Amino acid sequence: MNVRAVYSLAVVLTRSQIRGTRRSKLLARILSEPRIILPVDAGLLLGIGALGYVTVSRMGNDLQSILMPILPKALAGIPSAIMFIAILFGVLYEISQPTQSMNTDLVNWLPLTPMEYVAGSTISESYIYSFVLCLFLGVVLGPALAFGMFRSWLAAAALAVLALFVGAFVVEILDATTNRISSSFYKKSGRSGIIFRLVATVILLIFIQLLFSGYIIDYLLQSIIQAAVFVWFLPIVWPTLAVLSVSQGNFLAFLLFSGASVVFAGTLFAAAAQFRARFWVPVPVSIRLSSGAYRPTKFQLPFLGAAEGALIQKDLRSLTRRREMARFLAIPFVLAISMGISISPLGGGPTSGIYEFFSLELLYAIPVFIFVGAFAMTSIGQEGYAIWNIYAAPIKPSQILRAKTVFAAALGLAFGIALLTIFALMLNPIAANYGILLLIGILIVFESSTIGVWYAARFPDFREMIRSRYVGVWGSLAGMGTAFGAALLTIAPSFTSAYIYGTIRPEFTVATVAIGLLVSLVAAKLALREIAYLFRNIRV
Amino acid sequence: MDALTVENVVKSFGAIVAVNGVSFTLQNNQILGLLGPNGSGKSTLMKTMVGVITPDSGTITVEGLNVASNPIGVKRIVGFVPESPRLYEFLSGSEYLDFVATVHGLGVEAKRERIPEFLKAFELEGRENELIHGYSQGMKQKLAIIAGMLHKPRILILDEPLNALDPRSARIVKDLIHKLRDDGVPTVFSTHVLEIADAVCDRIVIMYNGKTLAEGTVEELKAKAGTEGSSLEEVFLKLTGTSDTREIVEALTR
Repeated sequence: MNVRAVYSLAVVLTRSQIRGTRRSKLLARILSEPRIILPVDAGLLLGIGALGYVTVSRMGNDLQSILMPILPKALAGIPSAIMFIAILFGVLYEISQPTQSMNTDLVNWLPLTPMEYVAGSTISESYIYSFVLCLFLGVVLGPALAFGMFRSWLAAAALAVLALFVGAFVVEILDATTNRISSSFYKKSGRSGIIFRLVATVILLIFIQLLFSGYIIDYLLQSIIQAAVFVWFLPIVWPTLAVLSVSQGNFLAFLLFSGASVVFAGTLFAAAAQFRARFWVPVPVSIRLSSGAYRPTKFQLPFLGAAEGALIQKDLRSLTRRREMARFLAIPFVLAISMGISISPLGGGPTSGIYEFFSLELLYAIPVFIFVGAFAMTSIGQEGYAIWNIYAAPIKPSQILRAKTVFAAALGLAFGIALLTIFALMLNPIAANYGILLLIGILIVFESSTIGVWYAARFPDFREMIRSRYVGVWGSLAGMGTAFGAALLTIAPSFTSAYIYGTIRPEFTVATVAIGLLVSLVAAKLALREIAYLFRNIRV
Repeated sequence: MDALTVENVVKSFGAIVAVNGVSFTLQNNQILGLLGPNGSGKSTLMKTMVGVITPDSGTITVEGLNVASNPIGVKRIVGFVPESPRLYEFLSGSEYLDFVATVHGLGVEAKRERIPEFLKAFELEGRENELIHGYSQGMKQKLAIIAGMLHKPRILILDEPLNALDPRSARIVKDLIHKLRDDGVPTVFSTHVLEIADAVCDRIVIMYNGKTLAEGTVEELKAKAGTEGSSLEEVFLKLTGTSDTREIVEALTR
């Protein structure tokens, strides 16, 4: 193995990842070289470690006696947690790559062996996520020093580094095999393959989002640590068992499990290299959507022209066919599940009480404006470098505004109605309240879609990169702030009426509608101005 | 009336002046070749002609329409192919052409007639239902050229249109440009392949550092450069001051 080649590849891949995300000029300059990760890691490890040591040393005996028995378990859980996170981040990275930049052509024509490629790639991935490792190890360093468990900490640290690599090897294997499987799959399945990919990606993203709720992570780790002794034959628990052995003073078991962990990591490395050798890098496959001769389409929507229809149809295909867009489809599901969990305490009784209604109104308005606002704000930037197709076409700014707003609003309305149905099923419905909520939902959808398109045109980000945001950071913050303000303004009259009169009077409903329409109209005017300006000054 | 007039156009990007006071006209029966080294401002100038970039100063009119005040009107009558065009890779070839045809206002009948015709001519028939993501560079270029011509434009602006094309398709494009010129549809055409410019263009504008260095027919340019009887490549290298390449080659092969 050419070590210099592996090192160079690892540096290039690391640079490609850390430079491949949009950030401010200052941050871009600071984070342009891989060596910046080292001081960040050291700072996290030593800084948090020192803080932890001081805190634990000054704790009372009662608190220390609670913490001390937990520490060995926490140390033992770190390798498993790191392995899990490395796999999770690796998979997320693959999902968020723009379709256009999936081919790592470089390794096709450079004189690199599969083993060198796997080594370089896994070193790069492990180095990039080393901050997570240092964060975890930093948290347990202080207590370990204070309670005299530094030896266990050292064992946990060494095995966590190994686990990080194991995670990276697993990602390599997954990447190589899924490339091959998906290539053959898409070739055979065509359109249904794309739908399957979309559904699978959305489910995976929902699963990952829900996993990130602290409760589930804690539950999983506790289960692994408790079950580790019983499933000692599974290689993934060997690092955990090795650390537990140190805490129990069983050095023979430590040597056995850590040695087995090293052999397991080596086997995975060899397997990853073999998979790479067989399937190598992804190559674009020809996906045939249908057979037969070309048939012209006529996608005509009421009140909209042919150009708006064509734009909406294109955006719908973009949303359902681009892997990196799947996250937008996952948002409503994640929000709906989160809101479902949040409203469950309200269930059981009628929702006519003022405070219950306030809670319900907020719990309904927030996800609707978040989804519609976030989606509309990316509607221009998601065009990517292909935006020239619109720049060069005879499409008026007003047509672009209509197409982008209607598409975001249509998705938002579908989501709003679905969310309301969940509310109605989970709670004791009072028809009048749901009527008001539906009206508010419709108004917020229109406001958020026009405000979103306004900011999308003002702060577009056309760059195609990993985890593309499609809208500038400040633009997205300001846009979400504006949409949130508008949503609050829209629900204010119903709040006021319910608070003063205990019911929602018609004049307050009229005020709600007036505010909603006025905000939408003003935002649409501003959006039109921004689109007209944007399309006079190409930025790509 | 001239098909295209470019008058004293200036366009800067920050401190870089990409186009610096360029002027020329194009007649209805002409193919104008825009030549120049990399970074000379050709692509920027072509984008200003389509209304994709607004110049800082100067005027461009296409068929009498001012590009600055009527960009949509101009885009309706211009067929544009940019350099290295990026297409919507999540669409199939036929879906992409259908989209472009629709936004140019073509009806169902016109699309049914023209799209298969072009697909067949450029040998994309049978591949039109595949996602563009899987197309080769040449196939994408063919698709961009078809998209630029579908709506029967009254003037063509083609930035390096023959890039990545196979010889047969390149020949079709060249013959199409000639036929359209004979039918009164002029073309502005940029290329780095000077043999092609020599063979295809009626007039040449050589740009260098954002300015017009020379303009005229190939023969006029040869006379201007004092290189009668030599190739357009020699004229180009002499005018742009890059003719002495021996030392560079020597150094590279040392």
